[in-house]
Amino acid sequence: MSKYDLPKNFDYKNTDALRPFITETGKIIPARVTGVSASNQRKVTKSIKIARFLALLPYTDMHQ
Amino acid sequence: MNKYEAVIILNPNLSTKVDDFLKDFDKLLKDNSFSIVKTEDIGRRQLAYSINNHNKGHYIIFNLEGDPSKLLEIETKIKYNESIIRHLFLVVKEHSSEDSSLFTESKNKKPESINEDVKVESKETKADESAKTKGEV
Repeated sequence: MSKYDLPKNFDYKNTDALRPFITETGKIIPARVTGVSASNQRKVTKSIKIARFLALLPYTDMHQ
Repeated sequence: MNKYEAVIILNPNLSTKVDDFLKDFDKLLKDNSFSIVKTEDIGRRQLAYSINNHNKGHYIIFNLEGDPSKLLEIETKIKYNESIIRHLFLVVKEHSSEDSSLFTESKNKKPESINEDVKVESKETKADESAKTKGEV
């Protein structure tokens, strides 16, 4: 099992499920690395971006 | 009629006045013919980055139903409400019947006052350790 497994229902509120898909610096890991299907990668990306807006996930590790 | 999921982050200094806010917000929604399906008061939470110099925020999640044309009026009201530091309305196909993971997380969490004490202690122990290591060097 890879570390990029998708849980059954994940959304922007489930930050624990999204954390494997961002790097330590907060960047979204590309699909060619995660091996997730294109449509799932789009969902993950969208959820991460919403979670970032709501300050549940960082945009970067350079936040003051 | 659309189904919405609204996330509102309140000023953490007003945490004690959440009930007042909920009443006001309830009235605002009713005036605009919105109905609240479910409210999840998640409580104070550490923000991933500071917003308007706040490091913590009081999160509240609503499941709403209402008319898209009225949403604009609600959003303008929210915009000029200074106790709200961030808000987001999302259109959803179906409301999830389960509690959100944030809500369950906050329920499982210990009361905040205890956590803060622990944090202070851990900081002190770290300081002690660093002092020790310096001494050894």
